[in-house]
Amino acid sequence: MSSDFETYEQDFGTITAEVTNKIGKIPKLSGEEKTQLVLNVDKQLEEVRELLEQMDLEVREIPIQSRAMYTTRLKSYKQEMEKLEKDFKRSRIAYSDEVRNELLGDDAISSEGQRAHLLDNTERLERSSRRLEAGYQIAVETEQVGQEILSNLHTDREKIQKARERLRETDANLGKSSRILTGMLRRIIQNRVLVFVLGAIILLTIILAIYLNLRSH
Amino acid sequence: MDTSGKEKEAIQLMADADKKVKSSGSFLGGMFGGGHHKVEEACEMYCRAANMFKMAKNWSAAGSAFCKAARLHMQLQNKHDCATSFIDAGNAYKKSDPNEAIKCLNAAIDIYTDMGRFTIAAKHHISTAEIYESELVDIEKAIAHYEQAADYYKGEESNSSANKCLLKVGAYCAQLEQYQKAIEIYEQVGASTMDNPLLKYSAKEYFFKAALCHFIVDELNAKIAVEKYEEMFPAFSDSRECKLLKKLLEAHEEQNCEAFTEAVKEFDSISRLDQWHTTLLLRIKKTIQGDEGDLK
Repeated sequence: MSSDFETYEQDFGTITAEVTNKIGKIPKLSGEEKTQLVLNVDKQLEEVRELLEQMDLEVREIPIQSRAMYTTRLKSYKQEMEKLEKDFKRSRIAYSDEVRNELLGDDAISSEGQRAHLLDNTERLERSSRRLEAGYQIAVETEQVGQEILSNLHTDREKIQKARERLRETDANLGKSSRILTGMLRRIIQNRVLVFVLGAIILLTIILAIYLNLRSH
Repeated sequence: MDTSGKEKEAIQLMADADKKVKSSGSFLGGMFGGGHHKVEEACEMYCRAANMFKMAKNWSAAGSAFCKAARLHMQLQNKHDCATSFIDAGNAYKKSDPNEAIKCLNAAIDIYTDMGRFTIAAKHHISTAEIYESELVDIEKAIAHYEQAADYYKGEESNSSANKCLLKVGAYCAQLEQYQKAIEIYEQVGASTMDNPLLKYSAKEYFFKAALCHFIVDELNAKIAVEKYEEMFPAFSDSRECKLLKKLLEAHEEQNCEAFTEAVKEFDSISRLDQWHTTLLLRIKKTIQGDEGDLK
């Protein structure tokens, strides 16, 4: 009789170990595997209940003197089984810690991660502000260069305008001088013609004078 | 390039030209165009010799050759050529003997003003002033020449060039502590550039300088001046220079040397302050406290 009880105990032990194992795994899994595992655990819990019932019957058959030990053992086994059932229920409902952690970020690592995150952000901010400053400096320099260029342009503009005016003046003066030159040329030609004519007249007069002289002889 | 050969050739030419000049003097035919012809030839030879000296980098000899050519031109009454030769002489002397250069340039300027060509005269005044600035370091004379140049430019309605010269005058005056003059100049230039769309971006710079000069003279003046400029020229009030000025005024009122230094440092970190500004700001800082202060 007691050997039966002991075999029952051993079976109980193995099955409960398996069940605890599986209960531990259930929250990590999801979907198909989970339902399968849940069915498995269900079946094993059934087996455990049957075992307990049989252990109960066994204990009843034992004579009253040595029954006390077995009843206490039985009680503890029953308590274990209830605990297993509770765990099982909880594991089916609880959307495991793992998933929570994944969603919200690990608590265990969180403070470290937050610090690194903050430092990273501060560095990024500093870098950006440095770049902005450099950009501002370049903008200011560009403005100064622009100022110089503009004032140079203004000076050049004035010079070009002056040059253009002078050019127009020169043009007018050249026109005038060319007209004067043509006038001079004309006068020269006139003078020369006059000289020739006068020369011719003088020559004629001389010839006439000589001729008249000769005639009067 | 056989420079020594060139030099010998040049010396030879000079000798020939000298002979020509002498011979034309004693020659009776010098009364006629024949004499002139000789002098002209001599002139040309001087010029060629001078160019060869330039090639041989013998600047003083080149300068003296150009001077002789210029005097001959004067004899021939070729004012333009004379002045040009003087300018060439001046340029050659610039590299060796600044005083001679200035003499030549002055002679050329006289001729140009005689002929009425004020623009060119002004340009050469600027060259002279530059020589005074750099080689001889005689700031007073440099200022005088720049002023003269600015007047001529104003007369010829080249306001931009005039303003450029005036700015230099202003800068040197402020250095020499003639603040009143500097203030007038900067205000004038600022006012005239304000309206011009090309130049208005530089106007705030001029007002800033004027305000700094006011500051050295008297702090109250500076305040009034800054308000006046803001009224005249609204864009001035958002420039960084104006903000700097206000901070400096405050620091001066409270006699707070550190705030002063900090404001200056902040401005300097964005756009570097040049020598002139630094000197003036240092002077202002010294008036805040009797002791030495280091700006950098």
